[in-house]
Amino acid sequence: MATSSTNPSSTNPSSTNPASATSVSTSSPATGSAPPLWQRPWARAAGWLLLLVVLAVLPLVMTEFVNETLARIGVFAVAVLGLNVVMGYAGQVSLGQIFFLGVGAYVTAYGVSNEWNIVLVFVLATLLPGLAGLVVAMAAARLGGLAIAMVTIALPIVGVPLAKRLSDYTGGSQGLSARFAEAPEGSGLFDDQWQLYIVLVIGGIVFLLTRSLVRGKYGRAFAIVKGNENVASSMGISPYRYKVLAFTIASLIGGVSGFLYMVVIQYTSPETMSFGHSIELLAAMVIGGAASIVGSILGGAFYVLVPQLTNQVDASLTTLLQGVILLVVLFVLPGGLASLPRVLTRGRRRSGADRGPAASPTTPSSTPGSGTAAEESETERQGHA
Amino acid sequence: MNRHFRSRKTLGIVVASALAVTVTGCGNRDDAGRSGDAAEGAPSPGITDTTVTLGITTPLSGSTAGPGTCTVAGVSAYFGAKNAEGGIEFGDGKTRTVEIEALDDGYDPQQAKANYDQLKDDVFAMTAGLGTPTNRAWRDAAIADEVPQALIMTGDPIFSDTEESPWQLGFVPIYQNEGEAFGELLAASGADHKVAILSQNDDYGEGYVEGFKSAVEGADNIEIVDELTYEATDTSVDAQITELAASEADVIFNAMSLVPLVVSALQKAQQLNWKPSWFLPSNTSSPGAVLEPGGGAAFPGIYSVAFAKAPASPAFAQDEDVVAYLSALKEFGNYPDAPAFPHCQWSWMVGATLEQAFQNMEEPTRDSFMEALRGIEGFQAPLMLPDTSVDTTQDGQPAVSSVVVQKYNGRGYDTVEAFE
Repeated sequence: MATSSTNPSSTNPSSTNPASATSVSTSSPATGSAPPLWQRPWARAAGWLLLLVVLAVLPLVMTEFVNETLARIGVFAVAVLGLNVVMGYAGQVSLGQIFFLGVGAYVTAYGVSNEWNIVLVFVLATLLPGLAGLVVAMAAARLGGLAIAMVTIALPIVGVPLAKRLSDYTGGSQGLSARFAEAPEGSGLFDDQWQLYIVLVIGGIVFLLTRSLVRGKYGRAFAIVKGNENVASSMGISPYRYKVLAFTIASLIGGVSGFLYMVVIQYTSPETMSFGHSIELLAAMVIGGAASIVGSILGGAFYVLVPQLTNQVDASLTTLLQGVILLVVLFVLPGGLASLPRVLTRGRRRSGADRGPAASPTTPSSTPGSGTAAEESETERQGHA
Repeated sequence: MNRHFRSRKTLGIVVASALAVTVTGCGNRDDAGRSGDAAEGAPSPGITDTTVTLGITTPLSGSTAGPGTCTVAGVSAYFGAKNAEGGIEFGDGKTRTVEIEALDDGYDPQQAKANYDQLKDDVFAMTAGLGTPTNRAWRDAAIADEVPQALIMTGDPIFSDTEESPWQLGFVPIYQNEGEAFGELLAASGADHKVAILSQNDDYGEGYVEGFKSAVEGADNIEIVDELTYEATDTSVDAQITELAASEADVIFNAMSLVPLVVSALQKAQQLNWKPSWFLPSNTSSPGAVLEPGGGAAFPGIYSVAFAKAPASPAFAQDEDVVAYLSALKEFGNYPDAPAFPHCQWSWMVGATLEQAFQNMEEPTRDSFMEALRGIEGFQAPLMLPDTSVDTTQDGQPAVSSVVVQKYNGRGYDTVEAFE
């Protein structure tokens, strides 16, 4: 939610930039001293390079199942990222993200089974959900707060019967299969490696683009719209336009994740976009960390790994165990998994008996949070006023 | 600049830890485990000289958890009892015990595919899982990996088409089988009947209607007077029932998969004082859950189809099969209550059918298993009703394609030979 960081009256100067939400509380101690080794440009470049090399080599050395799991994490990380744009950054509750994933998946399956060019399929799988998102957003964004949530609930609820009825295009309740992401002949790659590379490249590009978006002027505008629409209006930022924009971007990203879904899972049916999955995506976003790029990856990992983990523990208690894990994470880390390093460093600083302004009561809620944080921000604003 | 670097470090930590978690969570299997690498004739994964492992992905949570739990319980109970006796002698002369690895997919196709990916290198064959989308999700992958998807519980005909599904075989009758059985009974009755049809507007309803129509085609005594559909998401079919009542049909063929709708349809017909004979699909004709609340006794006849003995029926209380089945279900199936869904019985029969295939497979390979599986004919599995049998040799048909028509007697069902 990044509430205090968006608050113009905040006492912490470094937090006025909303884009720094993920690092406000940790950046202060380094101020004034010479940057440590890992802050120097060459070290950062090396870090990027290392990450790139790891990602490039990883699919080659991992087992088939690890690759498939990582690819699935990638798919849902992208879906959660889309949700993060509209919910985490722009603060509009959306319960319809799975619908856009479903539309993207159906467009991909339909295009592939009609042997369209795969680039065209990808473009359509991105643009059509985006268009659907734009149309819905133009209506929904006129409403405020939970009313938007109610409108977006309609998407998966309409989507499932729609997919069943349009059986000429969707295969009805039997769904559509499409195997098109087989490793090309001569590449020497296994299918699972090839698919993971596709997910890494497309997903990586989406993540980088989104990162630039939310750290730039649009991200700042989103944060202001999220913080206080009246303030946004007074600054010449149209809350309506930015809400529609955020929603449309979220649905575009949802469409991309639908395409990746077909790359990895290769099958879609009306069950794909059932309402329950929308809630699971939302939970994954909150668990990972709202308004956090890294949190989106963690959310995707949570979405995929927790059912696997609970299946290992006891296959007949999966839902119960998932609920327990969800509650535990939210109690211990209300800001999501992405806030873990911050919580740890803060703990260390506190134990150092050096309680500066950084440890003021508002700092913890600079952490991105769930829907409840919206209420918190309300009270905080009043508190500062 | 600080902040850029910070989040990058966080990213690094996160990626590293995520990887670490994944890697440790999945154990280390080497690349040779990838499918297609095994040498000809070598044992397939999941089978040793003393054990064979079967995988199941089925809904154990969510709204279909009831039947889903049954699909695991029955087959676990069957092989649990066999293992306690020392195991099963396979066609290659070795005696093996059977292990079951069951995972929950919550009726989510994506999770079903994930479960399959997780199991495919550890299990010899996948079996018994419930659900059309959840089985379809990994059908193509199973064909590509050459992993048997044997005796699964879906009425979707694609799994019984050898051409399209070389590594698959459905167990339960396809929708067409059930509709056909009732159509044949009606056509053979000799008397003139007017039939109204109400069906779910998807592959389920269409399958039933298709089977029914093919059976009554050319029968002069049957006239279809009205045919309506409803959507699976509808909450009421009162309008359809009212319209069908006006057709004055004396038989209604009701291909409906939703229990609450069947109950309300029965009640609505009574309100309208329309008393036709009903045909109901096997999964929505339970005496306790459907006919009693729906007031089924008010109608001249309610017909359904079955191939398994109902353990709750007093007629089978002393039946040898039923007694053995109920005690094994309690002891080995982790299912202490009376089985609430026929899937428990079906799953038990899946176990018996798999045993037949195991006894006939000459090599410990998946190829040999599929060959043996497709060669079972006229096998009367335990709990099967007279006049039904397992026959896997017919292309286009599931393992069980023979069903008997039964009539509601106020408490349970009796097999009938003719439409009265």
